[in-house]
Amino acid sequence: MICRFAGRRLSRELCRTCPGGPDSGAGGDGKPGRDGPWAYRAMADTTSTNPARSSSPAPSSSAARFVFPRWANYLLPVVVIGTIGGGVYLPVLFGFGASPKTMSQGYRPIQPVPYSHALHVGKLGLDCRYCHNTVEKTAFAALPATQTCMNCHTNIKAKSEALQPIRDSWATGKPMRWTKVHDLPDFVYFNHSAHVNHGVGCIECHGRIDRMQVVEQAKPLSMGWCLECHRDPGPHLRPRDVAVTNMDWTRDEKNPRQSPAALVREYGIRDVTYMQSCYTCHR
Amino acid sequence: MSSINHHVSGVEYWRSLEQLAQSPEIQDALGKEFPGYDADTISTSSRRAFMKLMGAAMALAGVTLTGCRRWPKEQLAPYSSNPREHLPGIPEQYATTWELNGVGHGLIVNSFDGRPIKIEGNPSHPASWVIKGKYGSADALSQATLLEMYDPERTRSVVDRRNGLELHRTTSWEAFLPIAAEQFKALRDKGGEGFAVLSEASASPSVLAMREAFEKAFPEAKWYEYEPISLDNEREGARLAFGAPLRPILHLDKAQTIVSLDGDFLLTHPNHTRYSNDWSRMRRSADTDQKMNRVYIAESVFSITGTVADVRLGVDPARIYVLARALAGAVKAPGFGDEKLSAGERQFVSQASRDLLAADGNAVVTVGHSAPPEAHAVAFAINAALGAIGKTITFIEMPATSANKDRPTHLQSIAELTAAMNGGQVNTLLLLGGNPSFDAPADVPFAAALAKVPTSMHLTIYDNETSKGCKWLLPRAHYLECWGDSRSWDGTPTLAQPIIEPLFGGKSVIELLAFISNHQIDNKLATGDKIVRQTWAGLLGKVEDFDKAFRGTLETGLLAAQTPKAAEAQLKLADLPAVTQVASAGVFTLRFTQDSHAYDGRFANNGWLQETPDPLSKLMWDNAALMSVADSRRLGIDTGDMIEISVPGVKEALKIAAFILPGQPVGVVGVSLGFGRISAGHIGDGLGFNAYPARTRRNPWSVAGIGVKKTGDSYVLIGTQEHHIFNALSHRTIEARVGEKYESGKIIREATLAQYIDDPRSVGAPRKVGLQLFQPPTATDKEGRLFSDVHAWGMSIDMNACIGCNACALACQAENNIPIVGKAQCSNHREMNWIRIDRYFKGDVDDVNPEVVFQPMLCQHCENAPCEQVCPVAATVHDSEGLNTMVYNRCIGTRYCSNNCPYKVRRFNYFDYHAEDPRFGNRWLKVPWPNIPDLQQLDPELVNPVKRMMFNPDVTVRMRGVMEKCTFCVQRIHGTVIAKRREGPGPEHDVRDGDILTACQQACPTQAIVFGNLKKDVNGKSQVADLHKHPRAFDVLQEELNTIPRIRYLAKLRNPAEENKEG
Repeated sequence: MICRFAGRRLSRELCRTCPGGPDSGAGGDGKPGRDGPWAYRAMADTTSTNPARSSSPAPSSSAARFVFPRWANYLLPVVVIGTIGGGVYLPVLFGFGASPKTMSQGYRPIQPVPYSHALHVGKLGLDCRYCHNTVEKTAFAALPATQTCMNCHTNIKAKSEALQPIRDSWATGKPMRWTKVHDLPDFVYFNHSAHVNHGVGCIECHGRIDRMQVVEQAKPLSMGWCLECHRDPGPHLRPRDVAVTNMDWTRDEKNPRQSPAALVREYGIRDVTYMQSCYTCHR
Repeated sequence: MSSINHHVSGVEYWRSLEQLAQSPEIQDALGKEFPGYDADTISTSSRRAFMKLMGAAMALAGVTLTGCRRWPKEQLAPYSSNPREHLPGIPEQYATTWELNGVGHGLIVNSFDGRPIKIEGNPSHPASWVIKGKYGSADALSQATLLEMYDPERTRSVVDRRNGLELHRTTSWEAFLPIAAEQFKALRDKGGEGFAVLSEASASPSVLAMREAFEKAFPEAKWYEYEPISLDNEREGARLAFGAPLRPILHLDKAQTIVSLDGDFLLTHPNHTRYSNDWSRMRRSADTDQKMNRVYIAESVFSITGTVADVRLGVDPARIYVLARALAGAVKAPGFGDEKLSAGERQFVSQASRDLLAADGNAVVTVGHSAPPEAHAVAFAINAALGAIGKTITFIEMPATSANKDRPTHLQSIAELTAAMNGGQVNTLLLLGGNPSFDAPADVPFAAALAKVPTSMHLTIYDNETSKGCKWLLPRAHYLECWGDSRSWDGTPTLAQPIIEPLFGGKSVIELLAFISNHQIDNKLATGDKIVRQTWAGLLGKVEDFDKAFRGTLETGLLAAQTPKAAEAQLKLADLPAVTQVASAGVFTLRFTQDSHAYDGRFANNGWLQETPDPLSKLMWDNAALMSVADSRRLGIDTGDMIEISVPGVKEALKIAAFILPGQPVGVVGVSLGFGRISAGHIGDGLGFNAYPARTRRNPWSVAGIGVKKTGDSYVLIGTQEHHIFNALSHRTIEARVGEKYESGKIIREATLAQYIDDPRSVGAPRKVGLQLFQPPTATDKEGRLFSDVHAWGMSIDMNACIGCNACALACQAENNIPIVGKAQCSNHREMNWIRIDRYFKGDVDDVNPEVVFQPMLCQHCENAPCEQVCPVAATVHDSEGLNTMVYNRCIGTRYCSNNCPYKVRRFNYFDYHAEDPRFGNRWLKVPWPNIPDLQQLDPELVNPVKRMMFNPDVTVRMRGVMEKCTFCVQRIHGTVIAKRREGPGPEHDVRDGDILTACQQACPTQAIVFGNLKKDVNGKSQVADLHKHPRAFDVLQEELNTIPRIRYLAKLRNPAEENKEG
């Protein structure tokens, strides 16, 4: 017989224990019983209406655990819907989870003062380290003190409306409150000095800052993205003395000292097992 | 039936009587992950119900996309104008001084962007340095003062209680000062009649200066001084011996023989950091000079010094004086003869005196501050007779303290003041700190007298029992918030500078005194910094540029040039009373001790200290009556039974829980002071038992002839002595499987000095085991290491130097943002301390002097780590340098790793312990803040930001549901490595040996902990590698389990006295 639940051929012995077993009419001839697919119902009908069946041996209690309860019939649609739904749901979940929006790529909050990196860096050519002066010394690339702004803006655009918060901060001594753009999770201990001093250019993580009117997060800053570089740092390294803050630098392929392998050697970059150890970034 | 009657002998090292007796609780703890619970009874839901719930949870997680929420936006606030040389995110170190009991402790405070986050010892300070100029150690109390500063329950504003406690009014300094100025002016006009000041002991030159200004302004005013844990006995003893109150300074780095009479110089002495460091040097000389100091101690309560002593005698406190006299007679000090001694005492005296005489002046006798002045005087006479004065013991003039040289003792002082208050002679009382309503002797009714004083003001950090009875509560600035100074034990003047603005607007003692006496500097009311600068202008003397000299002093924190010269100590021994007959056997003596958690009660609200197990009893969150095994048998008392101690002359009996401490002298019940506070704060209220009501002026340290009776009630004492026991595998199964029954040295190795000299290699040699439970790994490098990169981090812990003082545990807690969990959670074995100092007793249960071994146990960073092999999500893995890394954001909290850890060093966050009051759970947010009406409903925003400021930003604050454990202070490793490699690549820029100190290593006063790179640095040095190859080095459980730990222990050595021929 074909047992509908198991969907495969069963032995006569086992089938006997099934309520829709051989004696129910779903005989051993390999054809479905007379009541068609829903053999369980057929069994229930026959046992109640045909007294002749009572003489046949009752299903033993030890075999009762093979019996599916009636409501189990309805599981089938649930499983089908679940499979189809899950098949749609999971790609959507992971798709959203890894989408640039989720990673805040392109995140560009409004800042209290519309400071333009495109103007100051791209056009006027300020070095990154003029304002972010601790980037080579500490984990944190300091935001400039109000004083740094005032170094120039006491004379240049001294009456500009947009710079009023800066002048207020300078007058009161209260700090400016900038919104953090590149915000890593708190369990990530990113160290600027460790990267900048080993030839990782600003552009690698921050993109073309020199072309941004409003700073935005250019890269995903996800762990997978970090590890791409940690596993193969060479192509992301530059000569420290000339190129770390230079946004327009391109590798001179003919210069052997600028080859990825040479730079890895020069900076003494550790091997990949160390570079992707958990404690390298998480503590 | 008492569990100790079930004693099964044979185990050599044991942690507790319950373990020795193989009690059912211990058997339970050995076999199960959750001792005391049955898995079937915890879980009421079936497996199927669990699956259903998990399915639903997963579906919901997906629906709400909880995992994909963006964390809150952060703001960056750079300075308006950068402070000079300040680099954001780089901690700065400032030298400062903390004064306790009139003795300055030299500290270095780590300040992260203006917030003090960690306290270390000052490497230049004479009391703190471990390696002079390199690093210093801060003891557990000093380190815990950081938490005190951030305690949200500190006093926040001036409170006016003139209309009573109920009708109090919260006001401000601005409102208070004009009222007070008028009142003090009126007082000044009368010459200060009826004005009294009660101060804590202080050796601060600035306080002294302000006191002089005060006395000038109020010539009729009276100044009193009181400390419950007073050092007056020693001072009075010196007066008896030398005719002047000199202060003894021990030089234990020169002492071959040390005899201590009830003196715990390794922990409770104010100068204990220096003493333990010096002591450990003479201990370590076993390796270099093949000789080691020998410590004798006769003590009335089992102490830390008692545990490391080579010869120990438990005695009644009254016998200390007798022993001192007998010892003086035995070393032929003039004027002393033989005393009537018991056999044990006689042997102790004859052995000790023989060694004292043989040491040729390199010996010292010291007496504890609980012993009577006469005993101190005799000890000074012995030292003089031995020729030790000038060698191992020197004296200085008692530093000019806030009270003058001929001040009465603290006990007299408080009694005089109380009498004056009762007699109506005090109209205005100013209390500078302290808590006399709680800690004054029972026969000095201070609290009642306080109510009779018309105007009383209390300058205090906490709104304590005394403040409740005062008319004005004045918030005091914490020492980390104000200018100040002090003198260390050897008299060196030390400076204290503010690390942070007063969080709650407190004022310091000197500022308040300057205000009261209207002390002017440059025609302005003197401020704290002006006062200190003025005082130090005097101390620095004539210098070219005062500002420069002062700055220089501020940097080191002290003025070594002003260290007092050794005073001439000419023995002029006064007539000492002869020995009176002491109480006969069978009668109990009560002995009060300084508490390791609360000190004298002032740290009752300090969760760090409360949850640090007591070094010996391992009790947390409570004190208890320590009783000997013999006494407990006799009276049928078991640990946790409530007993009633009736003290002669005191009406109410002291009801307290008993704790059976092996090694406690028979007939002496030890009770620590400072518990049973009723107005300490949410952490400290109602913990333990108050022993002050049993303490009288006549008997401040011990009371003879007390009655001890079992009440029939019981009390839950929580101690860690049975927590995190090495698992069944290591304790029990090995015996069966490996077949070396009860062999010593599985976990602990020790030897006598003679054995060690005879055959050094045998001490730490690997044991042969019949069967290794796990195969050794095969893929090791040629040095046998599985993980080895540029660095291979390792640690060495010298059990011969470890004194179990808890400084490392506190350092770890502060460094790594480890939460406290409260007594209830501790009772479930859930304390979070990453370092557990295992204390093992050795010997028979009936032994009156069981030997004690301390073994700090932390993550062993096993190369072949059992925890890693069972983690289903690889949340604990090795890095290439041999650190067993714990990745919190991967951990899903199965706790398999903890279950499989043979050392039991992993800790699980069952709750968000940082988020709420550990003792009350969420109740914290509902409990109204007593007596400060504007804060009736405690706003979490008011509390949490304060506590949050204390976190070390370099360490993740772990959330609920993740496992954590020692990281070898990976933040310090990486911080140093990155800073070094910034200079350039190559080995010459790599870290050198000793560049990286773990927090525990830095705090250890005895250099027992050494951390470093097992590979030699560019100078060819590696201290830790040398120590790993040391003859005394051994691995714990390595032979059985092949875990290849990165921590190797050095075996303990003992130096027992030779047997006495005459007995």
